[in-house]
Amino acid sequence: MMEAQKNIELSRHEHKPLQVNPIKHSQPMGAALAFMGIRNCLPLMHASQGCASYTKVFFTRHFNEPIAMYNTSVSDITAVLDGGDYSVLMSIENITQKNSSMKPELIGLHTTGLTETKGDDVRSIGTHVEIPYCYVNTPDFEGGMESGWALTAKALIQQHTVAVEDVKPNKLLLLPHVSIQPAEIEKVKECCESFGFHTLALPDLSTSLDGCLSDGQGKLGTGAIGIEDIRELASCSTVITLGSSMKIAAEALLKKNPNITHLHFDHLMGLSMNDNFVASLMKIRQIDPTPLLKRWRGRLQDAMLDSHFLIGSSTFVITGEPDMCAGICETLQSAGGTVNAVIATVYSPVLKTIKAKNVFVGDLEDAQEYFKDADLVIGNFHAERILHSQKKHTGLILRGFPNYEELGNQLKNDQLYEGSTYFLFEVANKLREVKHYT
Amino acid sequence: MVNRAKIKELMNESACSHNKDKKKGEGCDKPKPGLAAGGCAFDGAQISLFPYADAIHLVHGPQTCLGASWETRETLTSYEGRDHTVMGFTTGITTNDVIFGGDKRLADSIDYIMQNYKPEAVFVYSTCVTALVGDDIDMTCKLASEKHGIPVVPVHAPGFVGGKNLGSRLAGEAVLENLIGTKEPEFTTPYDINLIGDYNVTGDMWQYLPIFEKIGIRVLSSLSGDGRVGDIRCAHRAKLNVIVCAKSLITLCRKMQENYGIPWVSVSFYGKRDTTFAIMEIVKALGDEALIKKAKEVIAQEEAKLEEALQEYKALFAGKKAVLNTGGNKAWSIASGLQDLGIEVVATSIRKSTEDDIAKAREYLGENGLLMKAPASEQAKAIDERGAHILLAGGRSLYTAIKKKISFIDVNQEKKVSYGGYGGLLNLAEDLKHAFNNPVFANVSKKAPWEAE
Repeated sequence: MMEAQKNIELSRHEHKPLQVNPIKHSQPMGAALAFMGIRNCLPLMHASQGCASYTKVFFTRHFNEPIAMYNTSVSDITAVLDGGDYSVLMSIENITQKNSSMKPELIGLHTTGLTETKGDDVRSIGTHVEIPYCYVNTPDFEGGMESGWALTAKALIQQHTVAVEDVKPNKLLLLPHVSIQPAEIEKVKECCESFGFHTLALPDLSTSLDGCLSDGQGKLGTGAIGIEDIRELASCSTVITLGSSMKIAAEALLKKNPNITHLHFDHLMGLSMNDNFVASLMKIRQIDPTPLLKRWRGRLQDAMLDSHFLIGSSTFVITGEPDMCAGICETLQSAGGTVNAVIATVYSPVLKTIKAKNVFVGDLEDAQEYFKDADLVIGNFHAERILHSQKKHTGLILRGFPNYEELGNQLKNDQLYEGSTYFLFEVANKLREVKHYT
Repeated sequence: MVNRAKIKELMNESACSHNKDKKKGEGCDKPKPGLAAGGCAFDGAQISLFPYADAIHLVHGPQTCLGASWETRETLTSYEGRDHTVMGFTTGITTNDVIFGGDKRLADSIDYIMQNYKPEAVFVYSTCVTALVGDDIDMTCKLASEKHGIPVVPVHAPGFVGGKNLGSRLAGEAVLENLIGTKEPEFTTPYDINLIGDYNVTGDMWQYLPIFEKIGIRVLSSLSGDGRVGDIRCAHRAKLNVIVCAKSLITLCRKMQENYGIPWVSVSFYGKRDTTFAIMEIVKALGDEALIKKAKEVIAQEEAKLEEALQEYKALFAGKKAVLNTGGNKAWSIASGLQDLGIEVVATSIRKSTEDDIAKAREYLGENGLLMKAPASEQAKAIDERGAHILLAGGRSLYTAIKKKISFIDVNQEKKVSYGGYGGLLNLAEDLKHAFNNPVFANVSKKAPWEAE
């Protein structure tokens, strides 16, 4: 399209009837990923076989790992005649019979557009399942990947966490948003532990899709939190939500125990957000950070200064899940970057807090108009082809789902002082490459 | 709309070797709850038609269907206009559409596409949700077609009707009913063929099309690798349908034979022997002596050229043994390619193969070859017992190769270079050379310092 940039307003409602080159991913995909972050969980998608197959290929290519995922293969007949009992129960029977050595400790069942349209009562099916069972309603005609992930964390707490009144003083739960990669949650946990917290994360991909070679991969979720841990989450003294999407999960936990302290951070990128984070941990524990953490803050300060010449003279466009966009945008702006547009996959209240020139929900067709003037785009791999086709040489840093171009996505780290430092250097180096070129 | 009668017909395809030995009414397998791993009917339909670069493919459904699947297949095209195969278009329906119906959104979307992109045709794919709520896609497409003056083709292959294969067949039906025979070619030759079922993944077709050209075979239309909608509309004037590897479009070929009297041959372009065999099948079916003579000449030249290039590899591969674990016709077609390179194939998988495929696999591997029905559990043993040096399989089997300290090649659809035709065999040889020479498999399998020797 050749006309001038359209100004699309931030709205809950779509601005056109279709999506062209979509960046939005579905709720069931977020739910599936969340269940992979639970130890010995069997993620079961209640859907026709394609929903699971697409999702599996998507994550296989993004993480370069075998993916634990199963589906109930709803057919045209069961779509009409079955209320879900047959296909769900048969699936569990078939899967566990075929893999006799497999001992799932949790069945993570989530729905899709198809099974929500036909209206299966997935809650009541659970009464017939002997293995602990968690259900989530995730139609793919609502929300997106970020909300599917968050709804799953909420469902796990709602359905499995036992209500208590006492708290264990140093027990901490992190609720990370969907775009936080396996190595990142590991780093954030480490940071909290350095303050003396016994730290759990829900979901916890740090031991699941972290790219560690081992036998028998891809049969069950291998996350670092198990169903036993989830049952006892109400004894946490503190719950920290990372990303606005995760607030619903914290609210569910507070209902199990109103004595838990809830701290919220929209993201964990950049100097000021991490200062808030560290200050909060210091306040609770009444101790100083480790010397290494202090050192990383100094390195981040230095990185901001080193990179500000390049970042401060450049314009950016960011596309992706809302919580991820919020963190990246603030970090770039903290070093003087001009963010021309943030194009989000779905609507989220956090988008209102982003101070970019244009913030809206859209697709890559919309984003393309902003790419033309940008020095650097931060988005998923789909942006690459579009950038290749334009005259101006615009750089691309790949973040968010999916990234089929690069290896090692699971070990990228943009969080905390440390990750933000590496992120700023990556951005500055890419800008130098781009600006040298032109 | 898609109906039971049509699905039954496609599932019981008489021309398909899967169904020869089955009792009436058995037909193709239905997906089993919990055990179905492959794609759905929509996936199959999309794969079959997506390579038409001059058409826009609009997926009428919720987000999973297209959101996770666009720009994932390297189906290359030489189309000079805007390449729509690397783009994604979806109505991305919302709760409102589920409740009130998505027809208006669909009509608006087609209008939007016509205003902004002006394609040669629009394919509209129904999906589980839009089929279940009963959107009248046929009528919306018909009205849009009249309004905009281009074919707007409804493709009824919602995921829940079955697997990928059925979806491809349904896509074939959509093309047959809506496109084939709706236009006349500018001219015809006695050597016009339709290529059916090659999607030009990583440019597979381009490995053998130059050879066709040398011989004088003209490709009138393609379904759908590097295809054009304008051409497939003229497909009824071809002299021969050539179905490449994929058996899923066999119904289309049978019906074109019934409707237009076009015979068909089924061929594969994997490896030297199969490529040569394929070319000869085609020219023999076209039945022109001069063409056959010319084909023999060209084949002799190409084979000589290939043999020379292969000498270096054959010396490297002497005495090497391979275990192959892949699906369908690849079980024998890749085996044949490996044998052409002088590698002994000691075992292959027949888990997803038809009776014909199994017979072919037996023929290629010989009496002593192992045909694995359950390759996941058999392949490790086969490697040990037969002393294999390399495993060619999907990514999940990587760990088996590492544990057995042998080389590994991933032979799934996400390959980056073509293994088709004479030229593709050289690509395969090059990849094999690197795999054999790479010490990584042995290095990775070393014990950790804390593990007992």
